[in-house]
Amino acid sequence: MHKIYNIASKEVRHILRDVRSLVIAILMPMLMTFLYGYAINLDIKNIKLAVLDFDQTLESRELSAKFFNSGYFVPSMQRPDISDPEYVLKTGDASAVLTIKSGFAEAVHNKKEFELGLLVDGADANTASAISSYSSIVLAEYVKSNLPVNFEIPGVTLSQQVLYNPDLKSSHFFVPGLIAVILMMISALLTSITIARERETGTMEQLLTTPVTPREIIIGKVIPYIALALIDGFLILAFGVFHFGVPFIGSTMLMLIFGLIYITAALSLGIVISTLVKTQQLAMLTALLVTVMPSVMLSGFIFEIKNMPIVLQTITQFIPARYFIQIIRGVMLKGSSIQVLWIEAAFLIAMTVGLLAIAVKRFKLKIG
Amino acid sequence: MLRTVVAIIKKEFHQVLRDPMMLRLIFVMPIVQLLLLGYAITTDVKNIDMAVYDFHRSERSREYIRSLSAGDYFKIGSSDMKLTESDIEFLKNKFRSILVIPNDFSENITNFKPVKVGYVVDGTNANSAAVALGYAGVITRNFNEKVTGFKMPIKMKEKRLYNPEAESVYFMVPGIVAVLITMITISMTSMAIVREREIGTLEQLMVTPITTPAFILGKIIPYAILAYLEMSVALLIGILWFNIPFAGSWLLLYGLSFIYILTTLGLGMFISTMTKTQQQAMFFAWFFSIFALLTAGFFTPISNMPESVQYLTHLNPLRYFMTIIRAIMMKGASIDILYPEILALCFFAVALFTLSWIRFSKRVK
Repeated sequence: MHKIYNIASKEVRHILRDVRSLVIAILMPMLMTFLYGYAINLDIKNIKLAVLDFDQTLESRELSAKFFNSGYFVPSMQRPDISDPEYVLKTGDASAVLTIKSGFAEAVHNKKEFELGLLVDGADANTASAISSYSSIVLAEYVKSNLPVNFEIPGVTLSQQVLYNPDLKSSHFFVPGLIAVILMMISALLTSITIARERETGTMEQLLTTPVTPREIIIGKVIPYIALALIDGFLILAFGVFHFGVPFIGSTMLMLIFGLIYITAALSLGIVISTLVKTQQLAMLTALLVTVMPSVMLSGFIFEIKNMPIVLQTITQFIPARYFIQIIRGVMLKGSSIQVLWIEAAFLIAMTVGLLAIAVKRFKLKIG
Repeated sequence: MLRTVVAIIKKEFHQVLRDPMMLRLIFVMPIVQLLLLGYAITTDVKNIDMAVYDFHRSERSREYIRSLSAGDYFKIGSSDMKLTESDIEFLKNKFRSILVIPNDFSENITNFKPVKVGYVVDGTNANSAAVALGYAGVITRNFNEKVTGFKMPIKMKEKRLYNPEAESVYFMVPGIVAVLITMITISMTSMAIVREREIGTLEQLMVTPITTPAFILGKIIPYAILAYLEMSVALLIGILWFNIPFAGSWLLLYGLSFIYILTTLGLGMFISTMTKTQQQAMFFAWFFSIFALLTAGFFTPISNMPESVQYLTHLNPLRYFMTIIRAIMMKGASIDILYPEILALCFFAVALFTLSWIRFSKRVK
């Protein structure tokens, strides 16, 4: 116990001595939360729309005003060239060009059929489909506003209700996922690097000649990073809850327990990596490839697992972050209890136990 | 000068490639990343699980449900449980949306009256929820048109350019290539330089007749070559495996990539002057990479961000390169269209590269 304490305090001194890394370790989660909260907004807004109005009437101007007042579209800086309307799409000055041919006002008054043209930059499929669905909404509203007062459009109208996140804020969705990603980054990446460092600079042999056992070295080295990971987790949580107003409905205790289980899984992964590599550069690349990248891309953090091909979906089942993200999203946003989350919890625990066993075995083999 | 540079480059390659694991990683990394991202990033949402409560159970209501389940937008699960129980199913993520059809459904439709249908969506994933709302709206409008015969007098004829098949891979792969170059060059160069300092071989190198410029060039050229290799591998996979089109000029892309790589190598060098250990260097490199990645318009368009963040993105060289690589590959853009981005990139390349060169030379002396 005493020896573990000594190793841990040595590691703490390593961390504290290196003020710059520490500052980044604290700032990185804040930067990520800030950027994910503000910069990554998945519902498309402010689409740059250029209007080619050949009709030049009150009605055509009213229609383009409807587009710009809808909140979805903003006018493009550059006016489109009549002979080459595609040019503004190519330069990226506009994402869509609306063409109103002459005769629009006449068609509106005489209730005749009329066709508007919409040229869409389809490069980003997601934005393009948002553009077409928004423009049809705007158009439907325009048509409705020109109908007689008491006339109601027949047919089905959907009365919609969105649960858990009624404003569809993406920060609600990102903050829990970010906690999972940062915990993985700090725990797996930093531990694998710190052990690789002792080996690269040759101090591991020195440590092993002391009466400290390999197991004590590892436990001692890992404890400070658990603390660091927890601090980072709390920072994101506080930032998310107080700044972005992400709800926290469920049990804090439940979240803390699963946080610790997840951190254990991540640390075990870090140790396994460190037994495979000899240099820090390699440790970083490996950790990036096998822990951080899957936790970002295959965990449902940003991209829904259900939309992936079956092969990838199967792979996601071996990624601890997947279960952890489901658990904390459930706990934070929906107030889910363990009765609802037990399947994810069971998977996470089983995976953690397995990883820990592999880590201990590999470490004994390689270093002990 | 040239001979020393070549000698250092050789040494650096030996060092990087000595470790078979490193060699594997360098080539496995872009492949894995590309395959993962290419398949995982489908921002298009499909098969949204929907529980349906049909209180009318008529031919009309079933027709409406059928029109929702046509295509792979919604996966309809019938619902035998009570409405109150569905809340728990929601919590378990079994359903993402619930549709409730009232018992006056077809009477109202045949009488040309509006009918309200309840539609509840799980908003935890804001993106999917927005898409689910959008799909249901479009399908309902089409259903109305068919059943009531009421047609919108004004129609929109839409034409999609550049990616009419709406494949998100076409858009993501060029983005991934840009990200890959950024991450590899910044982190590898900064760590490679700091490594010499950390294990003490920098002093040894400095007592040799090698000049500082020769040392810097020898240290960064291998990573520039590596970046080009990774880029080519990634592009090849994109074209051969994902069948992404390449509309523009290869020469232009490879030429402009050089300007961009100068920027990131400069940044890597700059980081190495600020740090003492590889861990620090890696951390700094990551900090910059994450900032670059999230403000480049990689996942979501920049115009979507709040105005203050939009100004911030102008400080990000990756933003310009991202625009360039996408425009060249998808739209076949040429220099006369891309010149604002190229100018910005040149500014970054010259400024960052000379600044870090000067800083580094001072530090070494």
